[in-house]
Amino acid sequence: MQRVFGSINIKSWKFLLTAAVLIVWIYCYVANGDVTNSVVASGMRFGMPLALASMVGIMCERSGIVNIGIEGTMLLSGFTGFYVASYTKNIIIGLIIAILTGMLTSFVHALMTIQWQMDQIIAGTIINILASGLTSFLYKEGSTVPNTWPIFDIPILSRIPFIGHAFFSQQGPIQYFGLILIPAIWVLIYKTRWGLRTRSVGENPGSADTAGISVIKVRMINVVLGGAIGGLVGGFICLELVGSFSKEFTAGAGFTALALMIFGRWNPMGAFAAAILFGLAQALSTQLQIFGVNNIPNQFITLLPYVFTILVLVFSAGKVRPPAAEGKVYKKEEA
Amino acid sequence: MKKSLVAGATAVALAVLGFAAPASMAATNDDSKCGTAGVTCIGVVTDIGHVTDKSFNQAAWEGAQAGAKAVGGIANYIESNAATDTEYGNNIDLFAAKHYNVIVTVGFLEANATVAAAAKYPDIKFIGVDQFLDTTKTTPNLAGLNWHEDQAGFIVGYLAGYLTKTGKTGAVVGMNIPPVYRYAAGFQNGVAYAAKELKKKYPVTKIIYHPAADNAFSDPAFGASNSAQLLSQGYDVIFAAGGGTGNGGLARIAKAKGKFCIGVDVDQWNTVPEAQACLVTSAEKLIGAGVTDLVKSYKAGTFAGGNVYGKVGFAPYHALSSKVPAAVQAKVAAVAKKILAGSLSTGVK
Repeated sequence: MQRVFGSINIKSWKFLLTAAVLIVWIYCYVANGDVTNSVVASGMRFGMPLALASMVGIMCERSGIVNIGIEGTMLLSGFTGFYVASYTKNIIIGLIIAILTGMLTSFVHALMTIQWQMDQIIAGTIINILASGLTSFLYKEGSTVPNTWPIFDIPILSRIPFIGHAFFSQQGPIQYFGLILIPAIWVLIYKTRWGLRTRSVGENPGSADTAGISVIKVRMINVVLGGAIGGLVGGFICLELVGSFSKEFTAGAGFTALALMIFGRWNPMGAFAAAILFGLAQALSTQLQIFGVNNIPNQFITLLPYVFTILVLVFSAGKVRPPAAEGKVYKKEEA
Repeated sequence: MKKSLVAGATAVALAVLGFAAPASMAATNDDSKCGTAGVTCIGVVTDIGHVTDKSFNQAAWEGAQAGAKAVGGIANYIESNAATDTEYGNNIDLFAAKHYNVIVTVGFLEANATVAAAAKYPDIKFIGVDQFLDTTKTTPNLAGLNWHEDQAGFIVGYLAGYLTKTGKTGAVVGMNIPPVYRYAAGFQNGVAYAAKELKKKYPVTKIIYHPAADNAFSDPAFGASNSAQLLSQGYDVIFAAGGGTGNGGLARIAKAKGKFCIGVDVDQWNTVPEAQACLVTSAEKLIGAGVTDLVKSYKAGTFAGGNVYGKVGFAPYHALSSKVPAAVQAKVAAVAKKILAGSLSTGVK
C-alpha cells in the first residue's frame, strides 16, 4: 500500500486529500447515514467504468504504447456484446463476446502500432472513428437482452457498518469484480516478473531487449490484455450498469479515463482513487440537485465535478512522469 | 517502406469502413411528375438519425407519409449523414431541384439550413420540426412545428403524483434547454397538483440535469447511475427524459421492483423494451400528427408560416394498466382533457 499513498508524509497532498475525504465522509455518515451510503454507492457506480477504462490505458502505456482508442474499444465491444446477448438470449455469451471484441480491437491497434510501427495516436483515432461509424451504421433499435447481470448484496460484507452499504450493496457482479481486478492489476504490474518486464519495456526498451526480453511480445500481450479489460467495460455498461446499447453510449468515458490514468500516475490504485473521487464529485452534484439547493443555478452545480477535477489536477500537477518510452516506436537495431 | 505502405492502406481502409454510411434516398415513390399541377410531393430531410430511429425522424417520416396519403400525393426521404448546414442544405436542394411542394426538415439542428432554404425557394413550403423560429427573420413559406412540452409533462406528473407511495418523485433529464426544462417543470407542477388534490405534502419533485453539452442526450450511464441514486433514497416514480441519457435511466429503473418510470417524446414501450417492467406511460409529442396536419393545410391552401404548435399527450399504460387504479386513470384522462383544452394552466412559462 505504500506506493498507493506514498510514504505517510503529513505534508503530502495525497495524505491531506485522503484525510479530508475520510473526515467529510464520516461527518456525512453521522449526519445522515442513508443518504451518505447512497451517494458513496452512486460514486462507485459512476467511478467504476472510468476506473476500469483507465486500467486499459495503464496496461498499454506501462509497456510503452499510447492507446487513445479506449473509447472505440468499449463502444465496439458493448455493441457486439449487447447484440450477441440479445440474439443468443444469453448474457454470459454476450459478455464473453464483448471481452473477445475488446481483445480483437486492441490486437488491431497492436498490429498497427507495434508490428507496422504506425503513429500510435493515429492508430487510436482510427479505432475510435471505426467504432463510432460501424456501431452507428449497424445499429438497430428495439433489441433487448433477456435479462441483465443482477444487482445484489454481498452477504456478510454488506452488513459491515460504515462501508458495507456503500461498497458491497445493490451493485452488479462486474462492479464487484472490479474491486478485485484493480488491485490484481496493481500486483501484476508491481509485484510480478511480468510486471517488471512490462515496466522495463515501457521505460527503456533497448536495455530490456539487451537483457533478453522480447519487446514486441511483451507489448503485444499487454495491449491485448488491456483490450480484454476494455471489452469488459463495454459489456459492463451495456449488460449490467444500463442494460441496453445506445449510440455513442461511452460518451467520452474513454478520454476521461486517460486523464484519470495520468492523475493516478499510471498506477492502478492511483487511477482507481482518482476515478472514485471523480465519481463521488458527480454523485455529490446530483445530491445537491436532490436536496434542491435553490440559491445556486443548477448549471453551476452540474459543473462541480469538472471544477473539482481541475482543482485537483492543478494542485497535483508538476510531478507527473509518464513511462519514458511511451509513444515511441521501438525498432530493433540491426547488427 | 513496404510496411508503412501496408499500414497506410489498412488505415485508409479502416477509416473508409468507419465512414461508410452513405446518404440513402428512398426511390420507392416515383417523383418524376413532381412540379406538374395537382401533384403533391413531400420530401423529408432527416437529421443524422435514420427514418427507422423510432423517435423524431421516424415519427416525422410517418407523418409525411400519412399526409401524402391524405392529399393523394407522394412522399420521399433523404437521410443526412453529417450534422452540418452544408449537408442539410444539399439534401434540401435535391428535393427542390425536383420541384417538391413541401419539404420537412427534422430537428433543431437543421434550423439554420431550413431558414436559408426557405428564403432561397419561396415557392416551396417548409416545415421545420422542433424548430422555434424568430419570425422577424423568416419567410412566410416556413412553419416551425413546436410543442407545449410542459402540458405533456404536467399530465404524466399528475399521474406520478397519484402513483407514488413515498411521495418522492424525480426527473432525470438531459441538458437544461427550453424543451427539456418545460417537460421537467411541467412534471413538477403536475405532481404538486395531484398532491394538492390528495391533500398530502410531498417534497418538491427533484430535477437532475446532465452537466455536459456534448453528450447530454447520449449518456446512458449517467441516466442509470442517477436513477439508481434516486431509487436508493426512496424515490419511486421517475421521469427519465433525455434521449439516450433518459433511456439508460428507464432501463435501470426497470431492474428495481415496484417502481415506476415514465418515458418521453414517443411511446417508449416500443423504443426501450427493456423498460417495460416499469414504464407506466410516456409524455408524448404527437410529431407525426403535427406534420400531417401541416401537409393537409398546404393542400387546403391554408398553410400559414411562423410558429405552429402541435398536439401533446401521454402514451397508453400497456401492461401496467393493471397497476393504475381505474379511478386514477379516469382522473388523469380528465386532467389531460383540461390541460390540452387550455382550461387548466401548467404554471410553466
